[in-house]
Amino acid sequence: MPANPKADQGFLLALRRWATRYCPWVGLEGADGLTLDITGSAHLFGDETAMLADMHHRLKRAGIAVRIGLGISRGSAWALAHYGTTSAPNDMQTALAALPVAALRIERKTDVALQRLGLRTIGDLTATERAPLARRFGPELLLRLDQATGVQSEDINPLKAPPHYAVRMSFPEPIGLCADVMAGVERLLVKLCEQLALDGVGARTLLLSLRRVDRDTQEVELRLARALHDAHRILPLFQRGIDTVDAGFGIDQLRLMAIQVEKQPVQQINHVSSGSKDQFDDLLTRLGARIGLENIQRFLPADSHIPERSFIRAPAAFSSPNDAWTHAQPRPIRLFPPEPITGDGSQPPPRFRWRRMTLTTGRATGPERIAPEWWMADENWRSGLRDYWRVETQQGRRLWLFYTPQNPGWFVHGEFA
Amino acid sequence: MTYAELCTTSNFTFLCGASHPEELVMRAADLGLAAIAITDRNSLAGVVRAYSALKVLKDDIPAEKLPKLIVGCRIVLRNSSVDWVALPTDRAAYQRLTRLLTCGKRRASKGECHLDLNDLMDHAKGTILIAIPSDLDTAQRDIHPVQRRFPGHVFMGAAPQYDGSDQAYFTACADLALRCSTPMVAVGDVLMHHSKRKQLADVLTCMRHHITIDQIGTRALPNAERRLKGHVDMARLFRHHPAAIRRTMEIAVRCSFELSELSYEYPDEIADGESPMARLERLAREGLKRRYPDGASVKVKALLEKELKLVAKLDFPAYFLTVHDIVQYARSQGILCQGRGSAANSIICYLLGITDVRPETIAMVVERFVSEHRGEPPDIDVDFEHERREEVIQWIYHRYGRHRAGLCATVIHFRSRAAIKEVGKVMGLSQDVTARLSGQIWGMSDGGADPEHIRELGLDMNDRRLAQTIRLIGEIIGFPRHLSQHVGGFIITKGRLDELCPIENAAMDDRTLIEWDKDDIAALGILKVDVLSLGMLTCIRKSFDLLTQHEHLNLSIATVPQADTKTYDMLCVADAVGVFQVESRAQMNFLPRMQPREFYDLVIEVAIVRPGPIQGGMVHPYINRRQGRENVNFPSEELRGVLGKTLGVPLFQEQAMQIAVVGAGFTPEEADKLRRSLATFRKMGTIGTFRDRFINGMLERDYDLDFANQCFSQIEGFGEYGFPESHAAAFAMLAYVSAWLKCHHPAIFACALLNSQPMGFYAPAQIVRDAREHQIEVRPVCVNASKWDNHLERRTDGALAIRLGFRQIKGFREEDANWIVAARRNGYQDPETVWLRAGVAPAVLERLAEADAFISMGITRRDALWQVKAIRSQTPLPLFNDLVDGESIHEPEVTLPAMHLGEEVVEDYLSTRLTLRAHPMELLRPTIPGLTPHDQLQHVPLGRTSVCGLVITRQRPGTASGVIFLTLEDETGVSNIVVWAEIYKKFRRIVMSGRLLHVNGYLQREGIVVHLIAQSIEDMSHRLTDLGHPMEEVIGITRPGTDDVPRGQHTSARHPREQAKRLFPSRDFH
Repeated sequence: MPANPKADQGFLLALRRWATRYCPWVGLEGADGLTLDITGSAHLFGDETAMLADMHHRLKRAGIAVRIGLGISRGSAWALAHYGTTSAPNDMQTALAALPVAALRIERKTDVALQRLGLRTIGDLTATERAPLARRFGPELLLRLDQATGVQSEDINPLKAPPHYAVRMSFPEPIGLCADVMAGVERLLVKLCEQLALDGVGARTLLLSLRRVDRDTQEVELRLARALHDAHRILPLFQRGIDTVDAGFGIDQLRLMAIQVEKQPVQQINHVSSGSKDQFDDLLTRLGARIGLENIQRFLPADSHIPERSFIRAPAAFSSPNDAWTHAQPRPIRLFPPEPITGDGSQPPPRFRWRRMTLTTGRATGPERIAPEWWMADENWRSGLRDYWRVETQQGRRLWLFYTPQNPGWFVHGEFA
Repeated sequence: MTYAELCTTSNFTFLCGASHPEELVMRAADLGLAAIAITDRNSLAGVVRAYSALKVLKDDIPAEKLPKLIVGCRIVLRNSSVDWVALPTDRAAYQRLTRLLTCGKRRASKGECHLDLNDLMDHAKGTILIAIPSDLDTAQRDIHPVQRRFPGHVFMGAAPQYDGSDQAYFTACADLALRCSTPMVAVGDVLMHHSKRKQLADVLTCMRHHITIDQIGTRALPNAERRLKGHVDMARLFRHHPAAIRRTMEIAVRCSFELSELSYEYPDEIADGESPMARLERLAREGLKRRYPDGASVKVKALLEKELKLVAKLDFPAYFLTVHDIVQYARSQGILCQGRGSAANSIICYLLGITDVRPETIAMVVERFVSEHRGEPPDIDVDFEHERREEVIQWIYHRYGRHRAGLCATVIHFRSRAAIKEVGKVMGLSQDVTARLSGQIWGMSDGGADPEHIRELGLDMNDRRLAQTIRLIGEIIGFPRHLSQHVGGFIITKGRLDELCPIENAAMDDRTLIEWDKDDIAALGILKVDVLSLGMLTCIRKSFDLLTQHEHLNLSIATVPQADTKTYDMLCVADAVGVFQVESRAQMNFLPRMQPREFYDLVIEVAIVRPGPIQGGMVHPYINRRQGRENVNFPSEELRGVLGKTLGVPLFQEQAMQIAVVGAGFTPEEADKLRRSLATFRKMGTIGTFRDRFINGMLERDYDLDFANQCFSQIEGFGEYGFPESHAAAFAMLAYVSAWLKCHHPAIFACALLNSQPMGFYAPAQIVRDAREHQIEVRPVCVNASKWDNHLERRTDGALAIRLGFRQIKGFREEDANWIVAARRNGYQDPETVWLRAGVAPAVLERLAEADAFISMGITRRDALWQVKAIRSQTPLPLFNDLVDGESIHEPEVTLPAMHLGEEVVEDYLSTRLTLRAHPMELLRPTIPGLTPHDQLQHVPLGRTSVCGLVITRQRPGTASGVIFLTLEDETGVSNIVVWAEIYKKFRRIVMSGRLLHVNGYLQREGIVVHLIAQSIEDMSHRLTDLGHPMEEVIGITRPGTDDVPRGQHTSARHPREQAKRLFPSRDFH
């Protein structure tokens, strides 16, 4: 399985949240570690040993293999976790002295140089005069040494909790009218949107929970075609959802939460800004609320000579329009599965019947020869390469015909506007 | 009424055209085209191929039915969207075209060509120019000035697009043609000779864009219409413009230039009014006096007369003189060189000093030397010292000018491995599948896939993608990939070389090469001189220099005493580490059996351990006859003359040819054709007819069938790995000289060998070890004694000792070494004075400390390192420059832990790749019970034996059907391990990657040759860390030094096995 650093990072963040059960100060340590400052919280679990045992027990049950070091400083804990034993040592200095110098979080270069000099353990290092060491390896080495022995203090940077966007409102008396609920939602929205705008994000999915007096909860989910933090634009979109809510004996609490948010930085507004774009997005949202956002699709160009594969359909709310429609030759506005017609020879038939109509060929332009994409097995292209013709019939229809020279036959494939 | 195709792109427009030029020409012949122009993008690389193909076709088809070949190219300009198909009408125009291309290529980097419209204007006189516009609307701006400059030569090319707009497009073209007054001409803009190549064309497009086939999209060809088409198809397309078709014929008729017009003249300018032939004769006669001071024998004189006559008849004297001049220059610079090749062993070359091998010593076959009928130039390769060959190359450029001398190109083709890798990548096969395919199916060959094998690999042949991939791999093999420079083939001309062929820059600085490869220039009768490099010549020259310096002996290859008994005695016991050609393991095993006693034995020795004779099954009969276990008999009296010297067994290429002539009744030219068809038999497939003729010919002359088959299989073997006697003789000469040096001046030879690294078969560690076994003292690197090179020191007892030089220290630079030597005066007292006086960077001092080079001052490795570490600034500060001792900062005393022997050994290996202290095995032996030391293998009873040692070499000869040969080294010597395929399968990973191996097996002895047939193998590499070096990471920062086997850099080696690999490298030959 290939490495997935992003997922690893996500997991580490989750583990960090879990670790706050032991102490409030939990920081990340590199890409693969956590640092816990348990000063003052060990007694909650009995003592340090009991705390470590608890950690080991729980993590093992969760199937997570860890190395834990308990030290008098961040440096010593790191050293023990990476190079030492995982149980809490009695005599910290002795335990540290036996560890290799690499346990000091020093650069590889320094580590190698020390080893070549025969200074292999932290003990060797502490026994050596400090001044010559500083002359040769700079202050960094001694700083690291002191941090490990606890002479120098070192901070732990706990991580901020991820932002949480939710507001709620309780009513002294239950309400039941749509207008009242809407009024309540408006107040909530204004508050929520302020918060969102402050962080430069917009809501993509909102969840409104309405708690009834009988403790039942009704939920209204609103999915937006694009991220928004404008209360006055979101509010009307809730109308339809709220209409369907069964208020029962009344609602006594509203809770509004932005489940999914996206970055929406502040943008400069100018007089030519795309107001129509906003309207289009709102239309998508309204349509989406009825038929599902995924069901509104748009065409996007695709890179292929094969007509059927020269476009793809994508959900409109999750894609942006792309005008890279490059075709040297005109393509029909409508494309349908090939419909066979009678005709023989490689020139378009002068007269043919199609969809119960008798058509007479007026002008024919072609042939444009397209070969199947040989690397894909495409059922539709079993008949081999195609010679496409643009045929203007005297009846007025402009059709896209093709002829398959390898399996002689004529087909109508599309219609021009 | 027919059609001439004027615009075709062959696969010499790399990764674009999808057909060989040969295929295009043959297809054009099939289609009955009147003419075909090969017009590659800014290149003429493919035209000679087409020319040769046409020549072959002429044998079967009357010339008037064949298409005419038009030489041309498609000129793509940087500042114009219009491409120009340039078709020179005569030789002068062709010369201007090649100069145009040269100009564009010389100003660009390798493989590119930067041309502007102005360049075209300057060089296109007399050339037909057909404009291929990419955009009709803007083309007029570019076409108009060209038309005004070359009226009557500029045409408007209309290439069908096949997108339904052809007729409209032609009309637009005709309109544009009218406006520009450039008549419209039909062109096909051909990419392939047949529509079935469309898939390959798409794959090539993917390679060009570095994408997979699924991403190709509209970059794929929409259809296969850009193929070569006949008159009927083209006439139908251009039915409204018949004149455009007619005009192709008019242009074809106007292009009268043919490649055969290119007359090539050898340079002869040093003549001083003397004709080349006269000069050659004069030089030869002067040589006669020098080489035979006592007067030459009648035979020699007769031979000289015969050769001179032949050379005069074939008009090659200038060629010999050119080689002579180059050799003369090298001599004047003290660069050692030696000629080889068929012509090099002629008496003329001997007299001119091109070679030092006496032509009488070998059975020279004059027919091979320069065969009249071949019309092919003689072949002389000259080897130079590998370190100084560049001087000779630059001299040639300087002497003849870059416009007259250029290196020959080598076309790099898609071979199996590259084809599988690249096509597999395009087709989206995963890496492990391509790895399995390339590992298992094709091996080294160019053959196709065997469905049976594929099924064995667990791959489904019914899978569409896979089947397509395998077919495409088969198709792409043999396609040119890019041009590279030939190892040393020089083309030198009398006139301008850039009027013969475009010249481009090579990837290496200061090298220029022509676009044609050696087959192409041979087809056009152009001469090349091979300027090759040979490490052994460097070594021998350095040995001679040392001999002069220390022993006051002035020797050259020619004056080394011949027929020296002691030298042959040494070779008979396979004491040959470092001796040219016979130091490989197979050769070393063969020497005691061969028992060489004279020069010709060495010639045979060099030639016999080769794939040719081995595959032809000639080795055992020869050795049996030589050892008297088999009677020497000749199949017939005529063949006695041919095979007499080799005891009735054909060993050399020349002999095989002679058998074809004498035994099978071939004419000399047929024999030569046979030889060449063998060299390229896969391409042409003509081998079968020759085989029948050969066997029948021999049967007719009453030879028995077995012998005939045997002879033919050997000829086949030679086809691939031809080793002619003339080469063998030249190599044997060097082998003898190096053996003589090793025998009589072992210290000098070892020192020269070390100074010539990297070369040869063995790493410095083995060379040093061999020297010490010969009772030569080797002294360690020392700041106060060493130089950059290893040098020799006279001991008080008169013997010479080798002092290792700074070059043995990994990552050390020659410049630093020279500073240290220059500022040494009466010696340095401590590391700091080295820094102060020599001004070398602290990092350099660290390297010295790591190499233990301060030990002579009584400072151990660690203490030295500790002192060096204290120096923090790169250069000394002026104020503190001249410190009186003891005036520096006072530092508290620090006692560092002492190193034990194991650590010292590892540190030695780490920094110099060799140790003078103790072999790692010596330290490990007590901990591994039950081992037999290698020097005991001669004496212990036969049976199961265990040995353990460092792997020095591992080999899997192609001729040994999967058998692996390992050479292990311990403190007492080396052992030879044979791993049969069966055992290898079981211990594959260990055998391939282990560094310290413990092998258990059966002992075999034949004379002094001892083999251990492996039964079980254990990887002991991890034990090397027991030597006391826990630093795994440190290995990761070692830099590949001068003596390193090339390998990937900076891969972190964390596992002890990996670590061992870096510390104790082996030389692996597969």
